[in-house]
Amino acid sequence: MHAFRKICAGRFALAAAIGLLALATLAVTPALAKDTLTLAIKGEPDDGYDPTLGWGRYGNPLFQSTLLKRDENLNIVNDLATSAELSADGLTWNVTIREDAKFSDGSPLTAEDVAYTFNTAATSSGKVDLINMDKATAIGDYTVQLTLKKRDTTFINRLVSLGIVPKAAHGPGYARKPIGSGPYRMVEWNEGQQMIAERNPHYYGAEPFFKRLVFLFTDEDTSFAAAKAGKVDVVVVPQVLAVQTIPGMVLHPVKSVDNRGLMFPCVPNTGKVTDKGSPIGNDVTADLAIRKAINLSINRQVLVKGVLEGFGRPAYGPCDGLPWDNPANSFKDADPKAARKILADAGWKDTDGDGIVDKDGIKAEFTIIYPADRAIRQYLALAVADMLKPIGIHAVVEGKRSWDEIKHLMHSSVIVFGWGAHDPIEVYQLYSSHHAGDGWNNPGYYVNAKVDEYLDGAISAESYEASLNLWKKAQWDGKTGSDVHGDAPWAWLVNLEHTYFISEHLDVGVSQVEPHGHGWPITANIQKWTWKD
Amino acid sequence: MHAISPSFCLGRLGRLTLILSLVSVLAFTLVSLSPVDPVSAYIGIDRMQISIEQEQRIIERWGLDRPAPERFFIWAKNVLTGDLGRSMIFNEPVTKVIGKRFVTSLWLMASAWLLSGVLGFVLGVVAGTNRNSLADRVIRLYSYTLASTPSFWLGLVLLAVFSVSLGWTPICCATPPGVSPDDASLWERLHHLILPAATLSVIGVAQIALHTREKTIDAMHSEYALFALAQGESRTGVAWRHAVRNVALPAVTLQFASLGELFGGSVLAEQVFSYPGLGRATVEAGIRGDVPLLLGITLFSAVFVFSGNLIADILYGVLDPRIRIGAEEAK
Repeated sequence: MHAFRKICAGRFALAAAIGLLALATLAVTPALAKDTLTLAIKGEPDDGYDPTLGWGRYGNPLFQSTLLKRDENLNIVNDLATSAELSADGLTWNVTIREDAKFSDGSPLTAEDVAYTFNTAATSSGKVDLINMDKATAIGDYTVQLTLKKRDTTFINRLVSLGIVPKAAHGPGYARKPIGSGPYRMVEWNEGQQMIAERNPHYYGAEPFFKRLVFLFTDEDTSFAAAKAGKVDVVVVPQVLAVQTIPGMVLHPVKSVDNRGLMFPCVPNTGKVTDKGSPIGNDVTADLAIRKAINLSINRQVLVKGVLEGFGRPAYGPCDGLPWDNPANSFKDADPKAARKILADAGWKDTDGDGIVDKDGIKAEFTIIYPADRAIRQYLALAVADMLKPIGIHAVVEGKRSWDEIKHLMHSSVIVFGWGAHDPIEVYQLYSSHHAGDGWNNPGYYVNAKVDEYLDGAISAESYEASLNLWKKAQWDGKTGSDVHGDAPWAWLVNLEHTYFISEHLDVGVSQVEPHGHGWPITANIQKWTWKD
Repeated sequence: MHAISPSFCLGRLGRLTLILSLVSVLAFTLVSLSPVDPVSAYIGIDRMQISIEQEQRIIERWGLDRPAPERFFIWAKNVLTGDLGRSMIFNEPVTKVIGKRFVTSLWLMASAWLLSGVLGFVLGVVAGTNRNSLADRVIRLYSYTLASTPSFWLGLVLLAVFSVSLGWTPICCATPPGVSPDDASLWERLHHLILPAATLSVIGVAQIALHTREKTIDAMHSEYALFALAQGESRTGVAWRHAVRNVALPAVTLQFASLGELFGGSVLAEQVFSYPGLGRATVEAGIRGDVPLLLGITLFSAVFVFSGNLIADILYGVLDPRIRIGAEEAK
């Protein structure tokens, strides 16, 4: 005790000295004026701000502008383009662009730049997938033609997400000094710390309210602490912290399709393995009755309340509320009685009285796997395992260190995955059997010929609008599909709400339903944000 | 001076070459055995929107489709021509990434290094000259406690107290939000350095202080010190005029030899304070499997630590002529 007091005294003296020094310098820190907005929303692109490598794929490249964009209601509207039409054979996009667009260095944006951007992105091997594009050609100053190798209605999402770069100023250093036709231009980026942007004087759209934007790229805890200290105007926080209060800030929850769900292996274990040696199949989850019973018994509302602190909504499909979502996916859950009936009808009975149902000598047991460092997934897995007990299904919950480890197990165990993108191609990769087990696509080897037919039909439909109905039919056409009424290869659990604290003076307008990426998507309408006193 | 002799230089150069080759082989082997799949880490949540074909292109762009030994030899050949390769996650030459990050880290490491050296030395001398006094006991206790305190934990405590509760010091970063490093004043930079530097210096202070204390006690009991005391010199006088030079030698050596620990400590301190230096880049490179960057940083840190030890060796001769003369006589 005696010793302890001395340590405290010593450390306090040191602390006091440092504190005084700090106090002396505090006055130097400038107060930020209202024309500057400070955001701590994560999402620093380590490899820079080059759209041809994938920057801005969440719809708002900030420094660049895109041909089309999604509005608050996720409808596709013109941005740089004045018209974008797909030819009758579905293989050629004819896009005319506005004539008053200029890059932030004052040079005009022409069809040549658009063609260059698409052709470059196609070969630069980043996160832009233009495998299906044949080539982009400028026809005249303001018309560009994009030809596809084969029909692909999801290609329109490249028009929505690929920011246009200037042909003349694009090169190896571009990612760190981007020039574009977006509402803001970059002033400075200090990697790992912050990025400063200011209004682009040459922007063709309405002038944004805020002159300067400062993005802090600090980790979660630090950002939260900074918000508490009054240093930031917008901060993204995990759901567990959203119940706290921050003086001078209000909570701004945003709906999202950032979903979490259980993926079931849909084929029985026949001893087959992938070419990497990972086991395929699970005798328990291969049974449709098990998958349906699980889906029905889970109380999603309780998951939302208990795990997400209420910041979320039940999930019934991979794309809840997006234009290609089928509203018929939803159903009455939290119904253990119906679940038990399904199991009993399929022959699952508890023959040895241990509380776990069995059939043909197989017990209804499996492992739910999640990455151990993701708290939400862990809690979801635990809660679901609890909800399955009363219907006689025994789920063992197991955290794994990394995705690299999970990758090996995802064809034979139930995995807590999370997806949700503004691109229906995701639905294709999740359910199509053509690439089953290929990389991360359809890891459960789900096969339904009718679903495949709808999915292929949606991809090769004559237009994006025409494809929407086919995407919906792949989920449920009244007879079959990939939702719970159909084959239930997944048990979708919840859609998160992304939680932000924003200054009580800040008006961010209507935020769109956000995709999986947490943080950056809130800036989709940043040029409409205003400050009110 | 022996430090300049050609044989000494050659010997050291040979040793450095050997160390660097061993270090790079070892580091590359370890990274290749790591289960981290850099392509998955790079694609992240976009996995479902990236086709298998596109993924294959990314693998080819990074050269991961070739066998590991081949990749190592390509890398090694490039390194010999001065090209450390391109960082996968930062999409920039490795030398550029290291250069940028090291400049930021240098501020932190240099101030922590100076702080721990000066503070540790002064405390050690004070404690040693007044053995068993109250000051000695306080300093000893303080040092023992610090020596066993995890620096990242201390960092968190300091952050909670001074930045969050009291609001005196900044929460993070190397400059205030909205101010670019070029525009930041010296004060602003120092303000942002206080906590991380204090945390980082903790590693060194205790060690230097305790070591110096022992040496001071020895010196104060030596015959020349006793003789000076007998002639009526005060303890402080003896310490200052007779003991310090002898005590400085091990302290300086220790200080330069501690560069390795400083480097390691900065990884933790930078993580806690979101200080965008080389330490944070190292962590990023590690968890995302950025082999070129990780190897580059490993080589860089090896050279850095080696230089610290080399300087310590050279300073030995400068500070203590006996060693130099002894070496010359030995020839």
